[in-house]
Amino acid sequence: MEYGEEDAASAFEFDGTWREFAPIAFTNLLLTIVTLGIYRFWATTRARQYLWSRTRFVDERLEWAGTGLELFIGFLMVLVLFGIPYFIISFVVQALALRGQSGLAALLTVGTMAGVFYLYGLARYRALRYRLSRTHWRGIRGGSDDPGFGYGLTFMWKTVVGYLPLGLMVPWSMTSLWNDRWNRLSFGPFGFEAGASASGLMARYLLFYLAPFLLVGVFGVLGVAALGSGAQAGGEVTAGLVVMVMVGIFAFYGMLGLIALAYYAKFFREAVGSLRWRNLEFSFDASTKQWLVLFLGDIALVVCTLGIGAIFLSYRHWKFFASHMQATGEILLDELTQSQTKMAVQGEGLLDAFDIGAI
Amino acid sequence: MTGPVEVPVSWYDGQTALRHEGLLCWSGGSRLVLRHREAEGIELQADELLFRDARPGERVYALRGSPAFRLMLAGEAPREIEALLPRSSRYGRWIDRFGLPRAAIAFAAVSAALVAVGMTAPNWLGPMVPASWERRMGDVMVGDLGNRICHTAAGDAALAGLAARLDPGGEPIRVGVANLPIVNAAALPGGRVLVFNGLVQDAKSPDELAAVLAHEIGHVRERHVMTAMLRQFGLSILTVGAGSGLDRNVLGIAALGYSRQAESEADGFARDRLARARISPAGAAQFFERLRKKAGGEADWAGWLQSHPSSVDRATAFRGAVRKEAGYTPAMSAREFAAVRSMCRDDKDVEDFDLF
Repeated sequence: MEYGEEDAASAFEFDGTWREFAPIAFTNLLLTIVTLGIYRFWATTRARQYLWSRTRFVDERLEWAGTGLELFIGFLMVLVLFGIPYFIISFVVQALALRGQSGLAALLTVGTMAGVFYLYGLARYRALRYRLSRTHWRGIRGGSDDPGFGYGLTFMWKTVVGYLPLGLMVPWSMTSLWNDRWNRLSFGPFGFEAGASASGLMARYLLFYLAPFLLVGVFGVLGVAALGSGAQAGGEVTAGLVVMVMVGIFAFYGMLGLIALAYYAKFFREAVGSLRWRNLEFSFDASTKQWLVLFLGDIALVVCTLGIGAIFLSYRHWKFFASHMQATGEILLDELTQSQTKMAVQGEGLLDAFDIGAI
Repeated sequence: MTGPVEVPVSWYDGQTALRHEGLLCWSGGSRLVLRHREAEGIELQADELLFRDARPGERVYALRGSPAFRLMLAGEAPREIEALLPRSSRYGRWIDRFGLPRAAIAFAAVSAALVAVGMTAPNWLGPMVPASWERRMGDVMVGDLGNRICHTAAGDAALAGLAARLDPGGEPIRVGVANLPIVNAAALPGGRVLVFNGLVQDAKSPDELAAVLAHEIGHVRERHVMTAMLRQFGLSILTVGAGSGLDRNVLGIAALGYSRQAESEADGFARDRLARARISPAGAAQFFERLRKKAGGEADWAGWLQSHPSSVDRATAFRGAVRKEAGYTPAMSAREFAAVRSMCRDDKDVEDFDLF
């Protein structure tokens, strides 16, 4: 069996509705509150089951095969393996500092921070691996036999090198870490290949990098001009001037955020666009404007509902992701056999502890 | 009904991505057979089937022991087969069993009880921890505070003498003057009381110093320190993932962690001990009256003002405790008081008290 090019244009399709999602989201919120947050692992699972099952890849729906229990076990493992040592170290640091051993205390603090830095990278990879291993399509799942300990070290040095030359290598570290993550992962019998490159991103990154200086210049000139006119008008600090300064500050951060978003949109297009799996090539077609609409929509949703709308954010983000993902190429179903990678028994507890997204 | 009962289904075997079409057949018992056009039938036990998902147009079942096998059933099956299929699940096993409203109420009740126990636990658990344990914990956490405590032979003797007069019997309270120019005092874990040098210099009479010392000894003896430690410990467990709440230092706990009720208790303790030691509570009254006048003027006072009852009330309470016929004696001799006041100046190798 074979899928040709004609199917490929709309390879990913999302047919969920927020009306169907609402009962899941509201009951999840209720149960999470009455269980003091413990239900959230099962809540996450229910939400993902819905989102995955409403996402069609070519001719079959995805399935989320993870369970709340494994997420809960992951959380408990993080608590025991990392939370308790962290807790004890913080007491030891305090005791050392109070005894005048500030050098030793500082060393221990730096060591702990380095450890947390390592775990952050490790967590990011392992969460992605967990999610792929629980994503089924036609009864086939993804995964990896690489536990990611090496990736944790790579993450540390590439991030440091990325920031060392005044932050100019950040696009390189972002793309190259993306490649490092995805090149370790597979779906069915075939590995992913990622070859994202930073060269196309530098223009937008430099814009973001230089923007603060440019904006400070522009707003500085405007501010001086306004002050000058204010002085001519009699030297009083008028309410109008204060409002102008406020608007200026607001516009400054707004524009900085916008440029950052423009960079990120391009980064994500490049990153997904470089991803291959067997004979499939992926792409992501969301423009900066569409990302902006997503984020402004998120803010409006959360603010207008006094925070309750936040339960719909996972739905919005998944829908955005699924409807902008594209794939072209062909899949030979006969050669697509089950992944032989090991299944991790616990969920993305570590990532949960750092509260970050996987992709 | 006679003959086999069957329904069209499709399945993935979990080994390849090929979708198999066929029939799910039942002919009695709990045994089901998947029949395929070419291949031989696959036998299933109905209790091996697990409900996975209800999605548009079909229900999905998994098979215990083969994690990627999926059976898809479009529409309704004949009732003999429906009766064998596992029931759909929505919220999770426990909640499905009781129904959402009952489960939510039960969870809420358990959670409310847990929160109530958790919030009051420090108050009843604190006094139950033996003082010797607290002392050991305090020694581990705080140690000897390095070289930041001012020591002179005469000053140490004067302070120890005052502490013994206020708190005779039991394990002696370890009092030290911390080299910190702030008008404050703190009770630390492990039966240790620190008076900051700023307060020592500000005190106009030894009776004022005695009142502050008696108040802090009250926090130690009424087990407020242990209670605050337990509360902080609980909070940091709750926030361990977020990383907040861990960096609050021990002095912070001791200085800010007491409730107003605890402060009133410590004041009551101080009045009682001052009376027994025949030290006039007028010193305390003077101290609080001066606090009130300076309030807002100097930032040094902020610590006392935030966490303690109003200075006016406290001054009135101490003033009211003065007894004309009591025959008060000064808390310290002039020479002793002078020795305490010069401790930080005379201790040549004391360090500044900057913690982090």
